[in-house]
Amino acid sequence: MGRSAPAGAVALLIAQLAHPAGVGGAAEPAGVTNAPLAWQNWTLNCQGCHRPDGTGSEGTSPSLAGTVSKFLWVPGGREYIGRVPGVATSSLSNADLAELVNWMLWRFDKEHLPSGFRPFTAAEIGRLRTQPLRLEASQMRAELLKKADESGPP
Amino acid sequence: MAEKVLRGIASRTSRRSVFTILGGFLAGAAALPLLPVARGAESEPNPQDPNSGQVPPQESGNPQDPGDRTRCDYWRYCAIDGSLCSCYGGSVNTCPPGTEMSPITWIGTCRNPADQRSYIISYNDCCGGVAWGRCACQNNQGDRPVVRPQTNNEVTWCFGTKSQSYTCTVALILGVAIDQKK
Repeated sequence: MGRSAPAGAVALLIAQLAHPAGVGGAAEPAGVTNAPLAWQNWTLNCQGCHRPDGTGSEGTSPSLAGTVSKFLWVPGGREYIGRVPGVATSSLSNADLAELVNWMLWRFDKEHLPSGFRPFTAAEIGRLRTQPLRLEASQMRAELLKKADESGPP
Repeated sequence: MAEKVLRGIASRTSRRSVFTILGGFLAGAAALPLLPVARGAESEPNPQDPNSGQVPPQESGNPQDPGDRTRCDYWRYCAIDGSLCSCYGGSVNTCPPGTEMSPITWIGTCRNPADQRSYIISYNDCCGGVAWGRCACQNNQGDRPVVRPQTNNEVTWCFGTKSQSYTCTVALILGVAIDQKK
């Protein structure tokens, strides 16, 4: 174990150098006080359709892996995350849901998290979920991701 | 020769008696399926069903995972709605040959009677085979109305598979659940 520590440090340094400017890749999820509970809430409420690795199912549950944090790059994206049907109509409390969303952004797309990422709070999630998206969600998603790919990270 | 025989029959029988005999045959044929013999034949094991007849008990042999996996009261089946793959040539963890496990699943928790802890259970449907309706179970712990489809277990979860035809369901352990104070 003692010999693996320097190797780990080198790997971390390489990983940090590999990240483009303006995005994170934090070792710990921000805004999460109980990561095992966030994982459990993900498993019980989201994983069934979005799959354990977040790659989703075409047509019903879009992929989160490698994309979900890009919503935070563009105006309206943060609101989209709180209003998307799977989040807004969840049976979880605002506090549990905010932690789950923060954990999910880190777990499935930490590479694209903006470096100045402000974690979601229970109050913010509570406010956003009062206006759930319906059929317009998929079109909004496509437009936001297009803008994000055009603009790049903030 | 044939004409002589027919004329002989015609001279001995009336038209009415012919209808009587024919009518008797028709009524008898209609009544046959109602007889106990016919019903008995219907309940015979289907020779094409690979698990036709008695399904032997399947126990893990591990005291930490007690119960018969071919029965609805096995602890991992607490939220199952469907047929048990253990009765189809599969097991509690594996699909029967010729079927494909759906990656899209219904997930719940069940309490293990051996250690009184709750475990996260994934109910994966096995799709693409023949559904015999064997070992059908209706356990609905944590089930929500179908207006919340993501938490309703009556939905057939044969999504992401080549075939959408449902065969049976397995119950996989994903992990130990965190006990939350309500």
